[in-house]
Amino acid sequence: MRFVDEFRDAQLGRVVVGEIVSQLEPGRHYKLMEVCGGHTHSIYKYGIDDLLPENVELVHGPGCPVCVIPMGRVDDGIAVAQHDGVIFTCFGDMLRVPGSEYTLLDAKAQGADIRMVYSPLDALRIARENPERQVVFFAIGFETTAPSTALTLKRAKAEGIANFSCVCNHVTIVPPLRALLESPDLRLDGFIGPGHVCTVVGARPFEFIPLDYGRPIVISGFEPLDILQSILMIVRQLSDGRREVENQYTRVVPREGNLRALEVMAEVFELRPHFEWRGLGFISQSALKLSESYREFDAEERFEAPGVRVADPKACQCGEVLKGVIKPWECKVFGTACTPEHAIGTCMVSPEGACAAYYNFGRYAHQKAAV
Amino acid sequence: MNDPVCDQAGHCITCGDEAIPMQVLESREGNAVCVDSDGTRHEVAVELIGPVTPDQRVLVHAGVAIA
Repeated sequence: MRFVDEFRDAQLGRVVVGEIVSQLEPGRHYKLMEVCGGHTHSIYKYGIDDLLPENVELVHGPGCPVCVIPMGRVDDGIAVAQHDGVIFTCFGDMLRVPGSEYTLLDAKAQGADIRMVYSPLDALRIARENPERQVVFFAIGFETTAPSTALTLKRAKAEGIANFSCVCNHVTIVPPLRALLESPDLRLDGFIGPGHVCTVVGARPFEFIPLDYGRPIVISGFEPLDILQSILMIVRQLSDGRREVENQYTRVVPREGNLRALEVMAEVFELRPHFEWRGLGFISQSALKLSESYREFDAEERFEAPGVRVADPKACQCGEVLKGVIKPWECKVFGTACTPEHAIGTCMVSPEGACAAYYNFGRYAHQKAAV
Repeated sequence: MNDPVCDQAGHCITCGDEAIPMQVLESREGNAVCVDSDGTRHEVAVELIGPVTPDQRVLVHAGVAIA
């Protein structure tokens, strides 16, 4: 397919790796963070980290929407789903995220009417088809997904659909990146920027990375050659002494983003003062809630939920994995007590999570290298 | 008309903030019928990118074209 096959050319990939090697300073270790879970998934799926020289290390960032949902929010979702007459809808991976006692999938097995949807628009359709039931959509995701929730709520309001509401867990990517850059235990040389988030928000929100922290960031596509070319662009910036926001994904990302999507989001959402991120703690102004004019669709106002903060299980080191402080295989429970089938931590639930991506694609190579 | 399933290639593309390139087949008011690389047809909301025309390539996430 056009724009897909040509970005998976193995021969060209080797040429780009050669160029990366030619830009590296001898003896220097390069630590680059891929912000988005989609990149993590591609890196392991296509073995990109195996192609890179040893002194280029890829660190996985916090950009996995499922991984950052704290247990307390899952418990709130389960509590709403267990209300009489509620049809609770959410995306597929979210069903398997453990709350303090069990998952949404367990709650479904116990009788709650929980349905997997691909789009919030599907949840709205279910509300139209079931006017006697309350239909709740559990919204998660970064700025890539938030526009679809905003558009859905706009349509619900225009059509006067009163039996539809939303538990809003949308988060924004810039505040956790700033928190990571402020963190004393992590030294990063550059960032592979989140291509699909940038499709919506554009390049401007990331200018603080070169300006305030002197690090390069390259907005990247998700095919193997996209990622390799982005790494090349980062190491070139470092070798030239430049620090900029560059856009590798020009075939999709306009510098100013999608203005229409941003307008709809600004109408429907407002910033929460604080939001808890799994493993990262509370980060101010890092998440969205429904604005005053959409308050009638806020499921948190409509239904009672515990709203209690739940600490992560002691054995789980998702926080350190999300901050890039440890590698997935360095977690005490990785691949033993915590597997995709029986996940303890969120990073093992979502295949965008570093642990699941590594478990599925990378662990054999690592074991072989260790022998 | 199908939705991209949540367990495509073993993972949920919606949860993962992934978007899928598609081609517009037919445009209706606010929506379009699009086809993905597997030849599967989808109904996609296109309000956020403005009017689309047949053959136009769009990037779709959670049933909504974002680029």
